[in-house]
Amino acid sequence: MAQKTGVVFFPAFDWAISPTHPEREERLLYTRDQLFEEGIMDLPQLIEYKPRIATHKDIARAHFCVPDIQTQITNAHLIAVGGTLVLADALMDKQIANGFAMVRPPGHHAMRVAHGNRGFCNINNEAIMIEYLRQNYDIKKIAIVDTDVHHGDGTQDIFYHDPDVLFISFHQDGRTLFPGTGFCDELGGPNAFGMTLNVPMMPNTTDEGIHYILDNLVLPILDDFKPDLVVNSAGQDNHYSDPLANMRFTAQGYAKLNEKLAPDLAVLEGGYAIETALPYLNTGIILAMAGLDYSWVREPDYRPENFRETQEHKDYIKGVVDYLWGVWNDREQLGEQQYPREGEFIESTRQVYYDTDSIREQQKESVRLCDNCPGYQVIDSRGMYPDGQTKSIKAVALHPRACSTCQEEARALYERMKINLQGADVISFQDKPADRYYQLSDRGDVEISDEHLVTE
Amino acid sequence: MLIGLDVGGTYTDAVLMDDRRVVKKMKVPTQNENLLNSLLAALDPLLDAVEEVQDDELDRIVLSTTLITNLIATKQVDATALVIIPGPGLNPQLYDYRVPDTFLLSGAIDFRGREIWGIDEQEIKACAQKIQESGIMRVAVVGKFSQRNNKHEKLVASYLQENIPGLTVAMGHQITGRLNFPRRVYTTLLTLATQHRFDTFYSEVRELLEQRGIAAPLYILKADGGTLSFSSSVLKPVETIFSGPAASTLGALALTPKGKTSVVVDIGGTTTDLALILSGEPLLASKGACIDEMLTHVRAFATSSAAVGGDSCLMVEDGILQIMPYREGPAYCMGGPSPTPTDAMRALDLVEIGEERQAVRAMEMLGKELGMAPQQTAKLVLEKTVQRIVAEIEAMFISWEQEPAYRIWEMEQRKKIRPQNLVGIGAASPALLPLLGEEMGCSALIPADADVANAIGAALAKVNLRLTFHFDTDRKFYSIEENGVQEKLKGVSSLADAESFSLTRLQEEGNKMGIPGQEEPELVYSELFNMVRGWRTEGRLIDVCVQFPTGILEFQEGGVR
Repeated sequence: MAQKTGVVFFPAFDWAISPTHPEREERLLYTRDQLFEEGIMDLPQLIEYKPRIATHKDIARAHFCVPDIQTQITNAHLIAVGGTLVLADALMDKQIANGFAMVRPPGHHAMRVAHGNRGFCNINNEAIMIEYLRQNYDIKKIAIVDTDVHHGDGTQDIFYHDPDVLFISFHQDGRTLFPGTGFCDELGGPNAFGMTLNVPMMPNTTDEGIHYILDNLVLPILDDFKPDLVVNSAGQDNHYSDPLANMRFTAQGYAKLNEKLAPDLAVLEGGYAIETALPYLNTGIILAMAGLDYSWVREPDYRPENFRETQEHKDYIKGVVDYLWGVWNDREQLGEQQYPREGEFIESTRQVYYDTDSIREQQKESVRLCDNCPGYQVIDSRGMYPDGQTKSIKAVALHPRACSTCQEEARALYERMKINLQGADVISFQDKPADRYYQLSDRGDVEISDEHLVTE
Repeated sequence: MLIGLDVGGTYTDAVLMDDRRVVKKMKVPTQNENLLNSLLAALDPLLDAVEEVQDDELDRIVLSTTLITNLIATKQVDATALVIIPGPGLNPQLYDYRVPDTFLLSGAIDFRGREIWGIDEQEIKACAQKIQESGIMRVAVVGKFSQRNNKHEKLVASYLQENIPGLTVAMGHQITGRLNFPRRVYTTLLTLATQHRFDTFYSEVRELLEQRGIAAPLYILKADGGTLSFSSSVLKPVETIFSGPAASTLGALALTPKGKTSVVVDIGGTTTDLALILSGEPLLASKGACIDEMLTHVRAFATSSAAVGGDSCLMVEDGILQIMPYREGPAYCMGGPSPTPTDAMRALDLVEIGEERQAVRAMEMLGKELGMAPQQTAKLVLEKTVQRIVAEIEAMFISWEQEPAYRIWEMEQRKKIRPQNLVGIGAASPALLPLLGEEMGCSALIPADADVANAIGAALAKVNLRLTFHFDTDRKFYSIEENGVQEKLKGVSSLADAESFSLTRLQEEGNKMGIPGQEEPELVYSELFNMVRGWRTEGRLIDVCVQFPTGILEFQEGGVR
């Protein structure tokens, strides 16, 4: 029997950030109408799965939540993540050939440290799914292609020091759109240089532009990297009718992108043209992933002649693509130039802004340099909240493939931090080689387990 | 008094009931080539019995019949042409409706009911010409999202009717307004293809009843366990398909304690048919009835079937006992050619039919190959039989639990539940059900008159009615899924307005159908979406579903043996 495409559809019809927020109950309503009216789930090439409620441990693999996980999430978040995990299991169990999690709330702006909601995201669905897959199945190399119009800064942050996860994002130039990052010089940390690649695109770029990037950069790099798994972080706000961005992609362009990229798993991210784009885009993506004809899918007002790429865009894109292709090929050498390996740690500081929750975060990150493994990172973060309060967290993130020396160091460090809090409200530790996660705060010294903690 | 009649594939069962009491029951073999004869053979003795009772008369007759199933299975259906208006989305060729004369029209309506592309009159003209040339006199016209705006369907239908005299046209939105275009197409096709023959059958039954001077109203049982006046059923005959399993389930419901979670187990010759009753309510199939391997919009009870029954052929292959999915004849103890689960039951003295010596002989034959004594073999046979049925029951519950959920509350509420009761109907139930109950840790009930549970279910089924409203306060219109109503909307802006509007309409429609005034209407669900455009709420989409539920007339003292 031919392998099916798995679909999880969780529109969360009873969840909104606020009544008139773009992330509201209505967002996938017309998508529901279109998909159901098409009878698409009745096709023998598709199989629909029910999502499940993810556990706090699933989340702890990817995030340090302040002050704890419970505060950062609702059940909607756990179900959206759970939807991606159901498909991940179905894929690894060979029940499906590929899968599309059409779930909300979205996640790709949620960073490793989570003080609140940014870019409509609290927790990162893809990152949690990827950590789950790595811990539960024999998967080592993963590629994420972020096709949302906004830079996938959360996903980038979580895997910035991870040499096993390739992150490629193409998006509207950060000088013209939230979150204001995702430039060509964000290329990954000292242990993973070249494993983060960003292609900022000028406003009004069309299908032609994105397919140039796909054909000349993304697909060749995937061919070279040979990942065990390809994930599409499938935002739909590059669409020409999206109210929150300024690009000119079409349903046909998106469907074709998924046909070429052939992701193992796709996870819905943004996309707020809820009537004019989403019903058609989602139909097109499902058909493309299932290998079915999508040529009949088009927006009511679609006219091909309105979507021609300008020479200026073509020249610009070619320049960026050529540059990044060079970076990819010389990444080892360029990485050594960028991050001279002197001493045991490389430190950096930065500010993160949480637009939805009006939180400012200051973060210091120390990256352990190790010749034998991807090491660990020590994070010191302080969130400044709109009510004037601050909360701080100190955390250690140990890579799943860390060597025994780094494992011992990181564990000892966590124990020392627990004794001397140095004013931190929360101390946290991701012991990924052991798949165990810990947190110390005024709520106690706990290991975050698989037991469900259902929020009210 | 009430009469329930179930013309099934093998037997026709009938009961005459005085409130809760079975006055008389009948069971005659069904003649599939002449359903009317079977019906009369079972009915006439009951009518005689009615005559004998003084001071009481017949209140109604409810019929459940395999007519539609037979018509479809034997392809005795009328040729129908299909005109579809699919609009953008799936390539319509992804669905094969198996209709040679299919015509595609451009034109499109979107999910809100707005016209995206107009209809091309030249195309309709060309299409009408081809239909006329083909000589087909039935046409189904179905458009995507026609339930949100029937303009295109009506335009096409009226053109065809005006230009092809005598043409019968059915429009998709009249048949069902539920989302799912392919199922709507297929349901509309089946309706047209069976309507004429169903109408003939209806007239014949009425004539026969008139000849017998029966004035009691005649009802027909639907796949969702509700009854409908026979005259109304002519509009949507396909809804009467699979009324047999619905009748059995309702019969089981009538014969067991109220409000419980039960599995209805009907152990037959080579299959064991299963249905679920969750907290007193029969579970409906989430996808609608599947007819001839095509999904439809016909609401039907969820049923499942384990490939094992009293006559299943038993074999030993490579030292392992196998239950085959077929029969070679009756049980060995009844003179059949091979060992069966019935022989195992006989050998263990669980049933009294057939020759005990032959049954033991059958177990000896099997046991020899297994290296086991006959009694041990018989126990193993029953163990395997029970295991197979239990596995199927478990699969049914899991599939119910795994039905997709689109709301947080649905995820939180759908807890794992397991049955309290097993309700056995069918010949082999008394012997096997206690073993099944033991395995599953629940009570095994064999109701009195379980042999005619289906006829009892038909006799006692209530008239049901479900109406699902879709309100669009921005476009100022509403539609009703079940009856194709699309009208202008006035005076509804809130959820409360919509609910009370819907309940009032339900009461009105209920009255027309003869649903008694004391019946309580139910709000099944209601859901409101604010349509926010540019941070302002411009309108609301409200879905409300109300019903007079499926159920059984008062029946409290049903004996449970």
